[in-house]
Amino acid sequence: MELAFLAELTANGALTGLLYSLFAIGLVLIYKASSVPNLAQGALTMVGAYLVLALARDAGLPLWAAIPLAAVAMFGLGMGIERVALRRLAGRPIVMILMMTLGIDIFLRGTTLAIWGGTSRSFDLGVSSDPLFLGDILISRINLVGAAAAVLLFVVFVMFFRTRLGTRLRAIADDYMASWSVGISVERGVGLSWGLASIVAVAAGIIWGEIQGVDQSLSLLLLKGLTVAVLGGLDSIFGAMLAGLILGIVENVGSTYLDPLVGGGSRDLIVAAVLILTVMVRPHGLFGRHDIERV
Amino acid sequence: MTIHRTIKALTVATLLGMAGQTASAQEAIRIGACLDLSKAYTFVSPQVAQAAQDLAKYVNQSGGIGGHPVEIIVRDHGNEPQRGVECYEQLKREGVFIFNFLSTPVTNAVLPRAMKDGNIVMQSFVGRGDAVDGEVFKWIFPVGPTYWQQAANDVAFIKGRLGGKLTGAKIGFIYLDYPFGQEPIEVLKTLSKAEGFDLKLYPVPLPGSDQASAWTQMRRDKPDYVISWILAGGHVVAFKEMKRNGFPIDKYLSVNWLNEVDIRNIGDEAAKGILRGTNVAGGQEVPLVKTLLENLYSKGQGSGPETSVRDVYYNTGLAIYAPAFEAARIAIKKYGWPLNAEKMKDGYESIKNFDGSGVMSPITVTAKDHGGGGKTRVEQWDGKSWVPLSDWSADYTDVVWKLIKENSSKFKVE
Repeated sequence: MELAFLAELTANGALTGLLYSLFAIGLVLIYKASSVPNLAQGALTMVGAYLVLALARDAGLPLWAAIPLAAVAMFGLGMGIERVALRRLAGRPIVMILMMTLGIDIFLRGTTLAIWGGTSRSFDLGVSSDPLFLGDILISRINLVGAAAAVLLFVVFVMFFRTRLGTRLRAIADDYMASWSVGISVERGVGLSWGLASIVAVAAGIIWGEIQGVDQSLSLLLLKGLTVAVLGGLDSIFGAMLAGLILGIVENVGSTYLDPLVGGGSRDLIVAAVLILTVMVRPHGLFGRHDIERV
Repeated sequence: MTIHRTIKALTVATLLGMAGQTASAQEAIRIGACLDLSKAYTFVSPQVAQAAQDLAKYVNQSGGIGGHPVEIIVRDHGNEPQRGVECYEQLKREGVFIFNFLSTPVTNAVLPRAMKDGNIVMQSFVGRGDAVDGEVFKWIFPVGPTYWQQAANDVAFIKGRLGGKLTGAKIGFIYLDYPFGQEPIEVLKTLSKAEGFDLKLYPVPLPGSDQASAWTQMRRDKPDYVISWILAGGHVVAFKEMKRNGFPIDKYLSVNWLNEVDIRNIGDEAAKGILRGTNVAGGQEVPLVKTLLENLYSKGQGSGPETSVRDVYYNTGLAIYAPAFEAARIAIKKYGWPLNAEKMKDGYESIKNFDGSGVMSPITVTAKDHGGGGKTRVEQWDGKSWVPLSDWSADYTDVVWKLIKENSSKFKVE
């Protein structure tokens, strides 16, 4: 395999991987604050994309207004989900909370289907599909924009966690009992993390919506996002960024070699293998806290 | 006889008075439409259900079939085989013996039960390709071309475009890497050996959003044409990748599942040149569609939004249900009421030169061939509408039927 081809596969894999990271940041934010893997993050991403579309296309707002408005609405939705559905489950077994997020996922998918139907709708951010060559390497412009958005969000969250509010969230993540005892509102902190994760869902929904159109299949991003979050360490945003890069490259390069040998289907196999191996060999992921371990 | 003429004839017969049939005239011909209305096939199932209900409504307004109204019972199976089986069993208990599932996995799951029970399964445009073998799959009616036949017809079209010779040519096949997309591979491999072209396979994981590496490879391989077995939004992704990789859109030949919504999402102008293998005649100028627009939608009596009628999947729905109505008409005419699965089967196998009032190529179903001929044609988007580039034809039928027989014989053993 020629070097330029390998470089192109690696570069595009890295960019796609960062798009997975963009999605996974939402998962990490909620896990950091509440130790709950949010199985509804895929559905939230889909709802975010539909909301932007509804505001931009149906209500006729310009994108620069529709996106922040949708982000505000999604922030409210995330806070609302935590307040109405999850807060009352505090102290219950984790499996009950997991089932609740699964229930929310099904509810959100069903609601969007009832409102907007199952037909795919296009999303135009105005990013050109024309070829962009860096030397011999062809780069996807929208993937480049998405990767930049992921890096930007990463920087924003790194800075946010250094603020007073961010420090409180970190304290909750470290030890919520101790946080409670010193007067930090854990409930509000967890609610805030759901709100922020829902804003991240808007960003991921816009980028993925532009790439593949907006329909129910956006919610399927959960599997790859979860793999990235687990590999990165579930509670590490930096881990999610690095894991996205690794998964994207391994998946893109690996499947190109393997598909002709096994007759296709290796892409999903690679993702599954990464997930299984991570849980078996390093359950706390690359940068997760060591207390996330096998029993 | 077209369905339109059939209906007119039936209306006259009804008006002349069919004395003594009053009681049975109230009994309906019930068709179970267990469709995926909530998961993977939501981009097509609502239009198909709407077409079926419109057709039934129009036929009923015109006096029914042999004086009997048609009832379409629509249920959702969410593309889950166990729910499809549940739907089948439930409706079977209610006396239904004609079913449509419009999903390959669900149809495959129900098929052995229907075969055992002796109930009719309308399997048009989905499901296993060997089910057209009526000698083995006695109760299954995949009327219209199967994916195998459609892929073979696509290769014949490409051969014509490349000057009647495929030796040394390169044909790419990009497909969703699950049973739907994998269906034509065997046929394509067989034809690749027979015709001497180089077949390049490009699997794409579900739901079809991640095609970057497939098109990167395609840019290197430079196939002469690409046959695409991708669905819905996947076509939009493919279009963007084609543009990015400099692949000419007029060398992209899609499976029949590419509709007006996909074109709109790509952009009317941008999609100019894209090719589609089709098994139905699209558009509103089709006589049957015109009839339904005039008799139902102009009076506000359509079964759904009028916009859906402008979708080729609406015509697809008509092409699935019109042969069933015709089969019922023949069966009742031949054997009288009550209609049962045995009579319906005979009705299907007696269909001759039926085109559903212009909605598809004329089909002749026999006890041996439940597909009716397997003709398709290739159309090209000109920026405003689909322009046929070829006549209805079925090619490499010897190759396809050899595969059908090989596979259907295994079903007998199973």
